[in-house]
Amino acid sequence: MEQKLNTLQTEAHTQLSTVENNAQLEDFRIRFLGRKGLCSTVMKELGSVSDKERPRLGQMANRVKNEIEALYDEKRQALLSGLNGSSIQEDTIDLSLPGRKPEKGRLHPVTQIMNEVCSIFENLGFAVAEGPDVEHDHYNFEALNIPAHHPARDMHDTFYISDSILLRTHTSPMQARIMEARQPPLRVIAPGKVYRCDSDITHTPMFHQVEGFLVDKNISFADLKGVLTVFTEKMFDQKLELRFRPSFFPFTEPSAEVDIACVICEGKGCRVCKRTGWLEILGSGMIDPEVFKKVGYDPEIYSGFAFGLGIERIAMLKYGIDDIRLYYENDLRFLSQF
Amino acid sequence: MKFTTNWLKEYVDTKDLTPEALAEHLTMLGLEVDAVTPLFPGLSSIRTAKVLSVKTHPNADKLQLCEVAVGTETFSIVCGAPNVRKDLVTAIALVGTVMPDGMKIKASKVRGVKSFGMLCSEQELGLSDTHDGIMELPAETPHGQPILTALGLDDLLVEVDLTPNRPDCASVIGIAREVSGITRTPLTLPVESATLIHSSQDFSVDIEDSQACPRYAARLIRNVIIKQSPWWIRKKLLSIGMRPINNVVDITNLVMMEYGQPLHAFDYDTIVGRQILIRHPKNNETELTTLDGEKRIMDRDTLMICDAEKPIAIAGVMGGLNSEVTQTTTNILLESACFNAISVRRTARRLKIPSEASYRFERGVDPGGCITAMERAVSLLCEVANGEATEGGIDLYPGIRPLNSQTLRISRTSSLLGIELSYEKIADVLQSIGIRCKRKDDDTIWINPPSYRIDIEREADLVEEVARLIGYNSIPTSLPTVSLSYPDQEPKRSLRKQIANLLVDIGFSEAINYSFVTPKHVSMMALKNEDYRSTQVTLINPLSEEQSVLRTMLIPGLLENLKRNINFQNSSVKLFEIGKVFTPRGHNEQPVESERLTCILSGQRRGNSSPLYTGDEKVDIFDAKGIAEILLETLRVYGCGSSDTVTFQTPELTEQETYGCSPETLIISSPNGILGQLSKLAPEVAKEFGIKQEVFFIDLDFELLCRTHATSKRFHKLPVFPAVKRDIALLVPITVKAGDMLEAIHNSGEKFIEQCEVFDVYQGKPLEEGMKSIAVSVTYRSPTKTLTEKNVTKSHIKIINTLTSTFNGRLREG
Repeated sequence: MEQKLNTLQTEAHTQLSTVENNAQLEDFRIRFLGRKGLCSTVMKELGSVSDKERPRLGQMANRVKNEIEALYDEKRQALLSGLNGSSIQEDTIDLSLPGRKPEKGRLHPVTQIMNEVCSIFENLGFAVAEGPDVEHDHYNFEALNIPAHHPARDMHDTFYISDSILLRTHTSPMQARIMEARQPPLRVIAPGKVYRCDSDITHTPMFHQVEGFLVDKNISFADLKGVLTVFTEKMFDQKLELRFRPSFFPFTEPSAEVDIACVICEGKGCRVCKRTGWLEILGSGMIDPEVFKKVGYDPEIYSGFAFGLGIERIAMLKYGIDDIRLYYENDLRFLSQF
Repeated sequence: MKFTTNWLKEYVDTKDLTPEALAEHLTMLGLEVDAVTPLFPGLSSIRTAKVLSVKTHPNADKLQLCEVAVGTETFSIVCGAPNVRKDLVTAIALVGTVMPDGMKIKASKVRGVKSFGMLCSEQELGLSDTHDGIMELPAETPHGQPILTALGLDDLLVEVDLTPNRPDCASVIGIAREVSGITRTPLTLPVESATLIHSSQDFSVDIEDSQACPRYAARLIRNVIIKQSPWWIRKKLLSIGMRPINNVVDITNLVMMEYGQPLHAFDYDTIVGRQILIRHPKNNETELTTLDGEKRIMDRDTLMICDAEKPIAIAGVMGGLNSEVTQTTTNILLESACFNAISVRRTARRLKIPSEASYRFERGVDPGGCITAMERAVSLLCEVANGEATEGGIDLYPGIRPLNSQTLRISRTSSLLGIELSYEKIADVLQSIGIRCKRKDDDTIWINPPSYRIDIEREADLVEEVARLIGYNSIPTSLPTVSLSYPDQEPKRSLRKQIANLLVDIGFSEAINYSFVTPKHVSMMALKNEDYRSTQVTLINPLSEEQSVLRTMLIPGLLENLKRNINFQNSSVKLFEIGKVFTPRGHNEQPVESERLTCILSGQRRGNSSPLYTGDEKVDIFDAKGIAEILLETLRVYGCGSSDTVTFQTPELTEQETYGCSPETLIISSPNGILGQLSKLAPEVAKEFGIKQEVFFIDLDFELLCRTHATSKRFHKLPVFPAVKRDIALLVPITVKAGDMLEAIHNSGEKFIEQCEVFDVYQGKPLEEGMKSIAVSVTYRSPTKTLTEKNVTKSHIKIINTLTSTFNGRLREG
């Protein structure tokens, strides 16, 4: 029996070394390790050996069988990983076929950018507030120092519901609403839909804005520059050249537009930046003392800044979208790109 | 506001500033330069030419054969102009030139004679309406020059996008003042300042409403000769896109562009009673025909310039045809006035006449500048139109204001801007643009802004001036020091995000639709009149009928999106939108805004996966139900066991939506009311939207969803003992609902039931008519022991008995 076990081991070694493919390996398995294979046959002989020899031979038989099994496994792995001869998968499985993808949709690009913008300011400690789309003339204009017949109303082509009710033309009414209801210090952003009667390749009658403001003691224009610089750097993932340019908004003084070096032409001048090399990305300014007075804050004690930016515009710049109307057609060929 | 760089240089030395640098400086001062472009780029290849000889065309009486010199070359040109003659210097478009109207000049044969170009008229060059003949240039003009050089049009047009707070810069001199601050060079003005000697011998002026007309000045100029303006005036007007009309009108326009003061010239002899009255119209005065020939309707609010009998102009907006300066006019009454911004704005809006004059009055004209501008115009009228100014004139100034005097605190300016500033620095920059400063005490400066800076009314306005003059980019950058606080969270926002992310993860893309829609959606969705969603908020001034009311539901927008995708050959669509719908309240009240969550699904189920692995199965109502289930489970308002608050129910007749299919509808209820429903869209409604395929939707009240109590997360011990599964296949009448069977099993009271689920439903042969087979698998488990065969069988038999008796069924054999 001992002799048989030794022969079995040698034979297994020899045969396995000639195995080159799965079929041969299977033959090997059946011959040596199968239910009626050589190992089983030798094991059965254990019953006929003497009681004294049985433990030793039993151990030996087990060792040989384990060894052959280990050799078999090793060979099988080798064949699978293609280390030995032709790879089996090449014959049987075509991995050039597509994967079985679970279904997945996309968030609208406006939502994606909106989330990005909000999270930058949230990380700076700003709270997020939401307000009505349909506003009182008071909050949309009067409270923001834009009285009736002010030429600044020209910058807001307003949709009206009645004499004093309108679709908000910017998210700035939230400035007035929140300041009216609460006391400084305040750090708030207000995202939402806004409306203007204007429609062409660069304007849709509805779009999205984020308004933000910070009111406290000793807030300066330098702080405005600092916060908006942080925002711009995070939003555009790079150290972009940035400039603050004097502008006019009735509810801020001084007012500033923030331009970034054109992300399309890198400041060389192109159609998108109207050959100026600069892209306007947000409006901002120190909150006008008149606005503070209307909500009962003392402008001698408190100061603050406010800013507003258009989400569609940022998405256009970041993603290179050239027709704003695509945003609201909800064509899956468009949505699935982002 | 438009001007040219050469025009600007008449008033201020721009030193070595390049046009680009000038534009950059102005932009950074808050005068945003939109564009700097060469004038008349279309004329760049037109040259001057001198006619050397003229012969009659052999085959045409009206045509001439000309030899013309263009620099060193000579060309043969056929010309039909009556004024072509030897030695005339004119403009030529040679072969290859593209004319401003797009026509390309080619070598051609005119009646058998070759011509190598075209001699041009002013009209052909877009310089005037004159087409009487070819252009006539001064005889000394060298030939072969670019025409732009010969005409002095070698210049750059600068366009500034003015903000409403800077009306003083709606004039070339206004821009020059800013430039003089940049280059620190003094201004050279045609008229620095002027006063008017009072004289009322030729006419009178009365202001009835001094609020609306703070100042009105007028002078009489006699014996003017109306003709075309000299080229230097026409050139300036043309270069900024204004049409020259005649010398008198051109002068008023030119001075307006120079000084920013709108002027108006009346034909003095048409003014009845030699009286000027500034008043509102009388009841019978309802119409005035303006200079442009349009009949304008006046209302009580409109401020008019009237003579003794009737209105002759709309104040600050446009003159009347009845007092217009015409070819026969000899005496002119020149008006230089200041009208109230709001009054002019209201009138210009109402009449829809945006004019250069109203543009300036609306923003605010310097009442202090009326006489200076008028004197400039008077001197030009005398010089260019042969006018004789009568001595003196009338200047009524009821709105005269005290000297604008302000104080500015140095400390306040420094702390607001975040930069340390000194008196010297502040005074230096303010004085560079003519704002006078005087030290009051250590921290305070007396400031006198010039009268044209009507925008400077408060300290804040001065702080802004300082900021823009020192340059925003020279102010440092810092981050505010604030106390730490945890920002308020908007709970709706986080729920919205959670839902959106979940839906995206299971194959839905997010749609955003306009809040305004067509009123037709009500009928397209087959809503009943009494349905609250039939009442929409209407816009007073919509862009179109298609966008004229605020939406009351989200489904129609999503259906339009579906239709669009189908049109572009994508018929498998899963979209959702979370957005507001609007329900009107009273007049002059904000509508109720509430958010909804709506999903639509249509077409194939497989989504992104390759057709290799999935069949072309279409989505059905169970997809909709499954999505609603997983959504509500994720929000922990459903599927959390006994604490579930949300249930799915078949609708009562009254709950059935008109746009849903009644057998395929489930109502989703919560303790606070109906959360929404999921349903198959009625095919008639789909048809209204041009959709032929089946559409399913889930439509939920997002506000209610936010208020629905979510089950908190709670750990349950993992089972230790094995479970036993037993199947039951039951033949029951087809009306039996599987859900009821599962409920019956749960309610059977058998204690080891852990779970039961339907795993097969079959109907059809070989089963008998009216019956179906429902196969249920029941899982038994005990928390305290391994169940024996006996335990399970006992319960299982009981359950089978309950089911067969309750549902009138029997065990299916085999």
